[in-house]
Amino acid sequence: MSLLTDEVRALEGRTKVYTAPEPFGAAAGRYFGLAIGDANPLYSDPDYARAQGLDGVTAPLTLVCETNQYAALPADHEGYAGHTWDLDIPHTRQVRGGNAYTFHRRIRPEDVVTATWRITSVSEKVTGSGSAMLVVASTATYTNQDDELLAENAETIIFVELARSGTEQA
Amino acid sequence: MSEPFPTVFADHASLAVGDPVPPLERTIGLPDMVAYAGATWDWHRLHYDTAYVAEKGLPGPIVDGQVYGALLVEMLQDWLGPQSFVHRLELSFRNLVFAGERLRCTGTVTEVGSDRLTVELKVVAVAEDGADGRAAAAPARAVVLLGTPDGPGAG
Repeated sequence: MSLLTDEVRALEGRTKVYTAPEPFGAAAGRYFGLAIGDANPLYSDPDYARAQGLDGVTAPLTLVCETNQYAALPADHEGYAGHTWDLDIPHTRQVRGGNAYTFHRRIRPEDVVTATWRITSVSEKVTGSGSAMLVVASTATYTNQDDELLAENAETIIFVELARSGTEQA
Repeated sequence: MSEPFPTVFADHASLAVGDPVPPLERTIGLPDMVAYAGATWDWHRLHYDTAYVAEKGLPGPIVDGQVYGALLVEMLQDWLGPQSFVHRLELSFRNLVFAGERLRCTGTVTEVGSDRLTVELKVVAVAEDGADGRAAAAPARAVVLLGTPDGPGAG
């Protein structure tokens, strides 16, 4: 049975927009650096950052792509409180395919970020073991209060038919 | 645990195709995962709740896949220094990594231009004998701008 139903096809073009309720702040980047174990002083030392030609401290590059911080959504039963397409594809499990990030400039503490997600394509493929899989491609663009483009994120999510599945990634 | 930030970086003028990136290795313990969950506002129980993941039949809490991207950026910036900017980063996810496992990030220069270089990257879980274990992210690739602390959108 095809996973690519008319209802699923209709997802193409669907958009969700999240705007942060406040500026990014310096603490968010400093905290992320500590959490990941990245001691780069660009995230914590404004004098060092200015000596390198920046206006001040910045955040680790991938942090802007963590959309949960802008979403202001309630936590679900699994504790997740972030962006989702709410896709319910029966008899499948969800697998993360990959991400392609483009960073246009470093985040500044005064940036108020808007994340705009859009489903760009929905397609059906077959795994090597013969299972059907639905590939949902989406993009996020991250802009600030002056509509400056900060980053882009192309993401692939795969729904693999449960009967004959392959590897998995959360 | 993080290592001290380097004070000596690669000489950008001497970079050549085939150069290896100094690898980055880090054990991702449960406290690190809790810290990352907080830093990213991602409180999904898969990333820290041992009882919950046991119910699911998993060997431990799952390391958030976006950790790999953060580590790859760290590896590149630690190597090339603050006068560089990771402009593009692509990664494909391969296998789950669980709390307490050690990750190894590696890379090799594949293209060198006047103001940028391209690096093929890989993230693996380190096997018990210290060899590369299962792939966490592969293939992966980055384009890094050289001689600038910020990106083309900095104005």
